[in-house]
Amino acid sequence: MEINLTTLIEQTINGITVGSFYALIALGYTMVYGVLKMINFAHSEVFMMGSYTGLFMLNYLTRSGVYERAPLPAIILTFIAGMLGSAVTGVTLERLAYRPLRRAARLAPLISAIGASIFLQEFVRLLPAMGEAITGISIGGISIVPKSVQTMVVGTLASFGGAYPKAYPGILNIGGFTIGEVYIAYGRVLVIATSLAMMAFLYILVKYTRLGKAMRAVSEDKDTAALMGVNVNRVIAQTFLIGSALAGIAGVLAGMYYLQIKTSMGFIPGIKAFTAAVLGGIGNIPGAMLGGYILGLAEAIGVQFLPAVYKDVVAFSLLILTLVFKPTGLLGGTVTGRRM
Amino acid sequence: MKNSNSAPHKIIAPALAVRLRSAITLLAVIALATLPILDFPLRSYWVRVIGYAGLYIILGLGLNVVVGFAGLLDLGYVAFYAIGAYTFGLLAGGHFNIHLSFWLILPIAALLAALAGILLGLPVLRMRGDYLAIVTLGFGEIIRLLATNLIGLTNGSQGLYKLDSPSLFGFELKSGTHFYYTIFLLLLVIIFFTYRLDRSRIGRAWIAIREDEDVAQMMGVNTTFYKLLAFAIGATIGGLGGSVFAAWQGSIFPDNFNLFVSINVLCLIIIGGMGSIPGVIIGAFALIALPDILREFANYRLLLFGLLLVIMMIARPEGFIPSRRRQLELHAEDVNETDQPPRKKVEKA
Repeated sequence: MEINLTTLIEQTINGITVGSFYALIALGYTMVYGVLKMINFAHSEVFMMGSYTGLFMLNYLTRSGVYERAPLPAIILTFIAGMLGSAVTGVTLERLAYRPLRRAARLAPLISAIGASIFLQEFVRLLPAMGEAITGISIGGISIVPKSVQTMVVGTLASFGGAYPKAYPGILNIGGFTIGEVYIAYGRVLVIATSLAMMAFLYILVKYTRLGKAMRAVSEDKDTAALMGVNVNRVIAQTFLIGSALAGIAGVLAGMYYLQIKTSMGFIPGIKAFTAAVLGGIGNIPGAMLGGYILGLAEAIGVQFLPAVYKDVVAFSLLILTLVFKPTGLLGGTVTGRRM
Repeated sequence: MKNSNSAPHKIIAPALAVRLRSAITLLAVIALATLPILDFPLRSYWVRVIGYAGLYIILGLGLNVVVGFAGLLDLGYVAFYAIGAYTFGLLAGGHFNIHLSFWLILPIAALLAALAGILLGLPVLRMRGDYLAIVTLGFGEIIRLLATNLIGLTNGSQGLYKLDSPSLFGFELKSGTHFYYTIFLLLLVIIFFTYRLDRSRIGRAWIAIREDEDVAQMMGVNTTFYKLLAFAIGATIGGLGGSVFAAWQGSIFPDNFNLFVSINVLCLIIIGGMGSIPGVIIGAFALIALPDILREFANYRLLLFGLLLVIMMIARPEGFIPSRRRQLELHAEDVNETDQPPRKKVEKA
């Protein structure tokens, strides 16, 4: 196989783009792990929800003509919708599936998270079917809900979820520029820039704001933080809110970049993002970014030498190797006591 | 007066309960053993459904050794099932034109799966809880991806088909009833084996590791050895299940070994009661046979699974038929909580 410099640079950019997605999702894992010391297994579904909500909004804006008249505000609205969709999912998840288990044995929240993950995927997949079943209930042959209302409800639900993959408008496909022989798409630049901006935002938030200080306190010791006047429940909910909103951005970006979404779309990126978080040192914000980029690059370079189908094998192997040889990750500190 | 009444009552009640339980167990075993001989409507359908549930009980019992006994959360259990199935597929079919006997392949599959179990166990010895879960999940996915992509070895997504039917002294096993009995017998052996394990020195070592690894180590339990042993035994049982599955189906495809098999098996253990053998059996019937019978709800099956897992963890983390020790363990943390009202005393299972 011939590899020239142009291919190498293009693959590097490709790798960093893919890595940016991993990094954006990994930030959510890392934040939640930081405060709760638990892996939010359903984070990949939070990402998926963001993508679906964003698409729903975008389709609505396109149909009502807003997108044509004012594309930029429409896109911003799409991102806000995606962030909201994810944030609501994440906070609800914390409230219903994790908070009751905060003091439970370690396996319990993990299993609850797996359950929530399956539930969310199936929920989105079955939305139209459930809507049809519920609005179709009839008593003595007379349906409670009029036919027209049922059609409308099912139609709306079908434009949100459903069993089939959904096409995403290729908004990021807006051309690009060339440096020498290397072609760089604007879409990729946007993805990379977003991930960097989000990391900077988070880093400043955790390091310099009151909320960040509270998060660090909760991460260190929940009970002591509570004694110091930190509202632990609120801080944890806010952590979920921010981490989920980031996943929402990633979800909308991923839809626009890959042009197709489905309910199981979160699984592989979720695992990869987790790998990225572990690789960089879980609980560490720049570490999550670094891990994401390294993983994206390893995959992009790896498929130059291996068949493309082994991409996932590369990622999983990297995860196992990290955990065996440097479980605290590249930027993680020394772990005192046994946290693993 | 009150004392004289309650004292004999206390002695008789457990004895009655034990007798009642063994009577029910005996009846259930007899019913299951005679089921395929009886003549009733949809017989072959029921034999297939219950046989399939039996296969999942085998897997459940195997994973129960790892998750329930030793407390190591393994989300990649399907890997061993796949290894067992592919061992049979490759050694008893036209792909390499090797036609070994089923009875010879069973120990080979068990051995290969055990080796894979140790291979997985070695790097994850230091890990706990959620890390272990993710790494084992990755391991399961790697095995599936390899089965899909190593086309020369596994024929890729085309799968392996037209596998040999096992034969026993010249009698060919091919119908659902034959496999029903094969699974039934294998199941009895595995139930006996894991039951004895649970009550052995090994079982106690596992419990010690599960409760507190550091303390177990201080008490002189060789944690490395016992953890690897748990992985190996769990894997062996999974491998056996895989071989029987492949022989029964007569064909295998990589898609038979996706993550949902692991999750299904884990769910049935959790819902039945972690570490409890009757729990695994009830869990398998509840999760595998029941949705097959209630076909209209088949579409909602996974949705309900997910919901059930969350509710179960919050309301009854010990499962429907909990092992006594596990129940105490899961509620022990409540006792330490000073800001909560004292819980109702846990009743004897």
